[in-house]
Amino acid sequence: MSVSPDSVLDIIAEESLVERSALTPDATLESLGIQSLDIISIVFALEDKFGIVLEQSEFEGVTTVQQLVDIIVVKANAAAEAGPAGAEPAAKA
Amino acid sequence: MSVRIAVTGLGCVSALGQSVPTNWARLKEGETGIRRLSQPHPDQPRLIREGPAAVIDRVDTSAADAYAGRKVTAQLDPVAVYAVVATHEALTDAGLIDDPVTLAGANIVYGGASGGNATMEDGYVRILLKGQASVHPLTIPKTMSSAAVSQLSMIFGVKGIAFAISSACSSSAHAISEAAYMIRAGRAKVAIAGGTDSSLHYGSWYSWLALQAMATDTCRPFSIDRKGMVLGEGAATVVLEDMDHAKARGATIYAELIGAGGSSDAGHLTAPSAEGAGAAVRAAYAEAGIPTDTPVIVSAHGTGTPLNDKTETEVMRSVLTGGLDRHRVIATKSAHGHLLGAGGAIEFLLGVLALRDGVAPPILGYLGPDPECDLPLSLGETRPFEAEALVSNSFAFGGLNSVLIAKRG
Repeated sequence: MSVSPDSVLDIIAEESLVERSALTPDATLESLGIQSLDIISIVFALEDKFGIVLEQSEFEGVTTVQQLVDIIVVKANAAAEAGPAGAEPAAKA
Repeated sequence: MSVRIAVTGLGCVSALGQSVPTNWARLKEGETGIRRLSQPHPDQPRLIREGPAAVIDRVDTSAADAYAGRKVTAQLDPVAVYAVVATHEALTDAGLIDDPVTLAGANIVYGGASGGNATMEDGYVRILLKGQASVHPLTIPKTMSSAAVSQLSMIFGVKGIAFAISSACSSSAHAISEAAYMIRAGRAKVAIAGGTDSSLHYGSWYSWLALQAMATDTCRPFSIDRKGMVLGEGAATVVLEDMDHAKARGATIYAELIGAGGSSDAGHLTAPSAEGAGAAVRAAYAEAGIPTDTPVIVSAHGTGTPLNDKTETEVMRSVLTGGLDRHRVIATKSAHGHLLGAGGAIEFLLGVLALRDGVAPPILGYLGPDPECDLPLSLGETRPFEAEALVSNSFAFGGLNSVLIAKRG
């Protein structure tokens, strides 16, 4: 399943409790009150919705909505092409 | 006892609804929050939660959101959401929600039979079911036994002693009694007490099923052909206060907590003991200093399991004197289900309202008398009953017993 910028924006709005209309490309995450924990929740929601696995470390240094959407779309689509979540073995604990 | 304990605020959420007025009105109307579930797991259709349950379908967090901020409340596990909603109501009711100075000096003792089960289950689904080698970074703080009380402290700015008590189905009754002792010891003028539980998730459901304690039809306390308990969820909070402090600020006083008695069976893990439970009831009467022929309304533990109700009957028949008809027994689990760690608090809370209003709401699901449960049960419909005191029983797994006695405020 490919991941569109619109679907990513929907999840960002839902998980970070920011109005969808406030998610303009140049808006900074800081100005919107989107913190690192929100980004983790967004990543988790994307993983659950699209059945993909994303590395949270990829999101360090992201400052604007556009950057966040771009990196998610690229990573998510790459991950989706690589196969569904669950193909990787679980962590050995 | 020199320091008297006033009950000055109430709040709750259960399958009966949200808020004390809603729960009380529906209880008096003989309505139930129990319904039949039939829910397959979204990822494992073979797993199904099927049977009677007292589920909270929706929680209105708007008041808590406005107070704490939506970003705070949105990240909570349901176990903490219930606690926050109930406590916001109780503090508002007590006239303390906008009193940061009093709240800062308050204590909190909050019960829970477990922690954030929903978050725990989400984590296991990711790790073991989906093979995702990471869980949400807030998994530990959301699942720990003290998750709810930590949030209460942070959200309401309570800077006194705050901790969780876990004694299974007696947790919140123990919380109320220990909070009262804190006030009596002079450690606080105001203590927030209660409990919360959210155990209607698949893991909990199958665990309770394995225990073979769940009814297949509904909860029928003290009835012939009763088959077991019905799981519920929710939270209940009471604000306890030094009576002089409450009167000085003109607070509404629902009741006075005059006695708390506890005991441990030191016996069986799941089977109740009349000796152990009776010791807790007698200890509560001794502390309350009221004779056992005082007309009381008993808010029974009344789970609807064959053994609990039989044992509770034996206990109350051995304690109550003056003729059983001068007393009345209610069993509200038949309406809101078994709230586990919140059970003792919601049953005390509803008992306080019955005492205040001079009525006894009906026990639901009753099919007919069981000779082994010969108590003065409140049946049929809500009827006037003028009690002088409330006796609220909690007898938990592990034989951990806590009994609260209150009189009119």
